[in-house]
Amino acid sequence: MDMKTSGRKLGLKEKYAHMTRGLGWETTYQPMDKVFPYDKMEGIKIHDWEKWEDPFRLTMDAYWKYQSEKERKLYAIIDAFAQNNGHLNVTDARYINALKLFITGVSPLEYMAHRGFAHTGRQLRGVGPRVACQMQAIDEIRHVQTQIHTISNYNKFYNGMHDFRHMHDRVWYLSVPKSFFDDAISAGPFEFMVAIGFSFEYVLTNLLFVPFMSGAAFNGDMGTVTFGFSAQSDEARHMTLGLEVIKFLLEQDPDNLPIVQKWIDKWTWRGVRMLTLVAMMMDYMLPKRVMSWREAWDIYFEQNAGALFKDLARYGITMPKCVETAIKEKDHISHQAWATFYQYGAAAAFHTWMPTPEEMDWLSSKYPDSFDRYYRPRFEYWREQEAAGNRFYNKTLPMLCQTCQIPMLFTEPDDPTKIAYRETTYKGEKYHFCSDHCQHIFEDESEKYMQSWLPVHQIYQGNCFPEGVDPTAPDFDPLAAVLQWYHIQFGADNLSFEGSEDQKNFEQWRGMATQNV
Amino acid sequence: MSYQLTIEPLGETIDVEEGQTILDACLRKGIWLPHACCHGLCATCKIQVNDGEIEHGEASPFALMDFERDEGKCLACCATLQSDVVIEAEIEEEPDAANYPVTDHVATVSRIVDLTPTIKGIFLQLPAGEQLSFQAGQYVNLQVPGVEQARAFSLANAPQEAELELNIRHVPGGQATTWLHENLKEGDRLALSGPYGRFFVRKSAQQPLLFIAGGSGLSSPKSMILDLLAEGCELPITLVQGARQLSELYYHDLFTELAAQHSHFTYLPALSAEPEDSAWAGFRGHAHEAAREHFAGDFRGVKAYLCGPPAMIEASIATLMQGRLFERDIYTEKFFSAADAQQVRSPLFRNV
Repeated sequence: MDMKTSGRKLGLKEKYAHMTRGLGWETTYQPMDKVFPYDKMEGIKIHDWEKWEDPFRLTMDAYWKYQSEKERKLYAIIDAFAQNNGHLNVTDARYINALKLFITGVSPLEYMAHRGFAHTGRQLRGVGPRVACQMQAIDEIRHVQTQIHTISNYNKFYNGMHDFRHMHDRVWYLSVPKSFFDDAISAGPFEFMVAIGFSFEYVLTNLLFVPFMSGAAFNGDMGTVTFGFSAQSDEARHMTLGLEVIKFLLEQDPDNLPIVQKWIDKWTWRGVRMLTLVAMMMDYMLPKRVMSWREAWDIYFEQNAGALFKDLARYGITMPKCVETAIKEKDHISHQAWATFYQYGAAAAFHTWMPTPEEMDWLSSKYPDSFDRYYRPRFEYWREQEAAGNRFYNKTLPMLCQTCQIPMLFTEPDDPTKIAYRETTYKGEKYHFCSDHCQHIFEDESEKYMQSWLPVHQIYQGNCFPEGVDPTAPDFDPLAAVLQWYHIQFGADNLSFEGSEDQKNFEQWRGMATQNV
Repeated sequence: MSYQLTIEPLGETIDVEEGQTILDACLRKGIWLPHACCHGLCATCKIQVNDGEIEHGEASPFALMDFERDEGKCLACCATLQSDVVIEAEIEEEPDAANYPVTDHVATVSRIVDLTPTIKGIFLQLPAGEQLSFQAGQYVNLQVPGVEQARAFSLANAPQEAELELNIRHVPGGQATTWLHENLKEGDRLALSGPYGRFFVRKSAQQPLLFIAGGSGLSSPKSMILDLLAEGCELPITLVQGARQLSELYYHDLFTELAAQHSHFTYLPALSAEPEDSAWAGFRGHAHEAAREHFAGDFRGVKAYLCGPPAMIEASIATLMQGRLFERDIYTEKFFSAADAQQVRSPLFRNV
């Protein structure tokens, strides 16, 4: 029977529309353009905000119910983790350095994502995207909170995590993720949504989140795995929001296409560069490897993003040119980054080490075209030197790329023996870049990137020492002063893993937990 | 053993095999449910169970909360049936869906016509008193003797006509189509069931209609156009029919004649590989190119119905989208081969 009754139940879509769309109104005391000053400044043309398809339909009431149950489960596991000394179940103490990188480099980004979406939501005159952004803003603050609470259990026992927020704003390599998000949040609202909602949450998220969370699972870290699960159910909403933004912008007006293409090109490259830190984490910092960076890139970028760009081609969007470079670099970036961190291990808030002979064999098998030829000889030499008591720490400061802020450590896409240098002159000043793509991003928005806060420049300008020190004093040690200003404790947070307090404590505590002493 | 699954608000009922997930069963029957991770972690595929028993499978406790399990929610990507079940999913309601019930018939072959060198028109007569009500664009599942799984063929006749018509292309090496082309004769009896499918004209939209058809994909558009004209539809209707050569352009005379009779019906045959020295005076090129030229690259305001080989559909969708017509106004009937189903697709589009 196909009878329609008059008291028909509202569909979920209609219900949601009643609860959200009715919340907006045309302002009369002030013109709409003054109330929403930013949503036209980027040149994006929106003709009909009602065409926004809500990518998920969640009421606040249901939202609180979900999140509170998730919290109860997560915190029960965190409590159990703390009571059972869960930190001693990880594969070995080197793993904890991946968490240090996560809490100092990634968790503060979650907080910035919260701010970014709260701000963006306020700036969009359409009610649908406004509500979606504000919901995501609440998710993001929950993510940063749960991450801090989970990782705080490690902070009680291990070094390098005690002042992660302070470090995030100051430490040289953390300026890479920090400047990435600052770049996005200081853009207009639509660029922010393409940068974070689409390029980051959709295209690249599997290369950030999955490696860290699977890394945690493979290395016995129950707490981190659990916050991963707790966040993943939100991420699905974030990804669909990212996709909806792209569709909405491209369908509203043909003039939006070149703007959106430019943003996708820019933010894919910005993201790929930032993921260098993840590549290094996967290949070098996890005692029990999940997969190599190259394998992750093949699956999550070349296959999945390949399918996405094939579909986007229907709108006239093309695969960013930078992807060709990224494919050429996939055999190299993790090794080049770890080599750099190993050299600068005195200035990092985590420990560094050379891979063991077995780990080098694993790298050879995963990188048959590059590891033995370009990296193994160097790493074996450093290993021998360290064993002989000659652990090398580079005390000079590297040149940074003006755009991605990564030290100029990458090689030419077609010649892994030659460092890639690019430069351009703007208003009489010379600027340096790691790649063609970072140079193009700068040239397109020079006024923005000429203001970059580059850690090395700032150190040379004397802006990174504690207040009151005298850099002209004869016994002045600039590295010690910078570390003090970073709140990195020399000898505890930095230097080699071999002989570190973390290494000794973990061995001793695990011994106490597993043997009768 | 299999159970029956009814999906609200569509009101459609499908069979689900033992151990088959709800999501898998729905997608295979052409019913699109929202989904993403496909292994119980993201909760995109959350649905409401209104009646019956399900097993939650590997649904993560963070994706499907305890209170939701108590409320009868489940994740379609993991849930399997323990009884006949009614679910409610977040599916757009279709005001134009007639939801005719599926019926089983044994029909008699009344005529077999060679439409092109590779396509036969097979006409079927139902036993007296039996009727197969369908919406133009829907298909039937045909049992081919000696072939285990039923094969889907779109109905090419107008719903107003009693004699059923199937246009069947001979797929080289294909078991079912080879048998139909080589062994089927007038007077044979064939078992079939139907109607199936969600490909039908959105008449309530009251917008101009564009049909792009290729190969034996002409069946559905033919049925749809005959139906619209029979009902007295006065909206502009355009049919673009793509073929390689004139010998493969079937029902050319029928549509030429219809175009002459109805000023609001435009017929655009396009040949992509017709010999250059032939007498063909019509469009030379692919169907999507003919459509682009005819509409001057601007498809705004129409409803487009695409039916044909995957490559033609893909090219047509890109042409339509670059002409400012998007997913909400594009409808396709795709028959997937095993190879098509292997392709990695992004979740950017749901239906096209």
